[in-house]
Amino acid sequence: MQEVLEKLAVFLSWTMTLVLCLCLSIFLIYLLIKGLPSFGAELIFGKAEPLKVLLGQARVFDGIFPAMVGTFFLVLLSAVLALPVGVCSGIYLAEYASPVMKKLFGSLFDILAGIPSIVIGLFGFSLSIFLHNHFSDRFGPCLLISALSLAVLVIPYIVRSTQMSLEELPSDIRRTALALGATRLQNIAYVLIPNALSGISSGLFLAIGRCAEDTAVILLTGVVATAGVPSSLLSQYEALPFYIYYISSQYSNPAELSNGYGACLVLLGICSVLFMFAYGLKKHLSYRTLYRV
Amino acid sequence: METKDKIIVDGVSFFYSSNRVIDNVNAKFKTHTLTAITGPSGQGKSTLLGMFNGMWNDTPGARCTGEIQIRLGGRWVSPLKKEIPMPLLRRKVAMIFQEPNPLPMSIAKNMAFPLKLAGIRDKNIVQEKVQRALEQSFLWKEVKGRLEESALNLSGGQKQRLCIARALVLEPEILLCDEPTSSLDAKAAGVIEELLVSLKSNCTLLVVSHYMDQVRRIGDQVMALEDQGLKRI
Repeated sequence: MQEVLEKLAVFLSWTMTLVLCLCLSIFLIYLLIKGLPSFGAELIFGKAEPLKVLLGQARVFDGIFPAMVGTFFLVLLSAVLALPVGVCSGIYLAEYASPVMKKLFGSLFDILAGIPSIVIGLFGFSLSIFLHNHFSDRFGPCLLISALSLAVLVIPYIVRSTQMSLEELPSDIRRTALALGATRLQNIAYVLIPNALSGISSGLFLAIGRCAEDTAVILLTGVVATAGVPSSLLSQYEALPFYIYYISSQYSNPAELSNGYGACLVLLGICSVLFMFAYGLKKHLSYRTLYRV
Repeated sequence: METKDKIIVDGVSFFYSSNRVIDNVNAKFKTHTLTAITGPSGQGKSTLLGMFNGMWNDTPGARCTGEIQIRLGGRWVSPLKKEIPMPLLRRKVAMIFQEPNPLPMSIAKNMAFPLKLAGIRDKNIVQEKVQRALEQSFLWKEVKGRLEESALNLSGGQKQRLCIARALVLEPEILLCDEPTSSLDAKAAGVIEELLVSLKSNCTLLVVSHYMDQVRRIGDQVMALEDQGLKRI
């Protein structure tokens, strides 16, 4: 009986993994079939000259180039804002917080992670109104407010992944540097963080994915259909998730819908580039912090 | 206090939350001797060692009562009263563990690591101290031609000797060894035993071991931690 159960468990886990891979493959193949026909320079640059666009000498009116640039900067800015706050909070929770504080802050971050993104978007919108009314007319829904709101949305992922990856380190690693006379800070910087980088970067990957796909937050905080390439942090912008949402709900012919699928492929491409960047950063950091000591 | 005493333990008890692990331990450890501590598993031998260099300090729920006095640089200090900063204490009361734990970097960088933590960056001084510690640990001849190779490529016995050398590089006055040979084969364990005995001229050693024959072979005094108390045998 025990043997049958063992075999059943192996069969089930194998089948479920296969089903998952199959679903992912079907999803990607479907996107490729639908999106590839429209994929090309015209999808990105419209009727404008690509070189002139890249040199800033021409504007794109009927392509997704401004949305690509907007998405790239949005994700990058959100990650840059969220990463230090998230990692520092994770380090505090794992290494310095008392059990009571750990419980308290842990619950707060869990609540924050559960807040619907539209609520965060509304908070961002209210912040832009507040800044507009009390500080300067220049403030309003913009790239910076969107990035700040997205950072708030993804910080819990980074905090929790940092905390867990530090707490899961075996005691052998934890006490190596301490026994050699390291201060707690030296132990964290030279030994614990380099060893936990894999877990920390997993949180960053999740955060990047969430920033790239979220539409509800940016809908209320600065994204518009035709803004062009953002000229500053305080300008409105275009973004691929919004373009995909807009084109798939408003399309007037099959070619426009096909453009939406093409934009999906581009969004996946941008996410992949950012993932690779995060992976490279992880490798570089582990080399710099651990091997160069 | 006698001048030859290095560590005096007076009525020390140790608790994890409400669980008493060590009960009213009294002991004296002389300078330049090797004390072997043995006893059944789970009696708190590793905990006892950790009390001398504050390794238990950050453990939630851990509590220690009584008094420990350690003579460092001619001055008596109490680690329990935190009369000395913990990093400074641990540089003078070094510790090695059951499993060799070299960091994933070269042999040279492993050896220089404690010196950099202590703020010693002069290359000549670092080089001199590293070579001396490797020589003391019977490892210099084996690794002098491959100091830039990863420490993870060494054999189990060599890794443990590297960890001892890394602890010695700061010239500690006391070396705490928590079952240093239990993960090694008989030959490698023999080399470590010989090495520990040779280190008595440099520092005071406290070695925890399960093996009765080993503790009798290497110890100037042998103590057993049983029924929460420490007895001389």
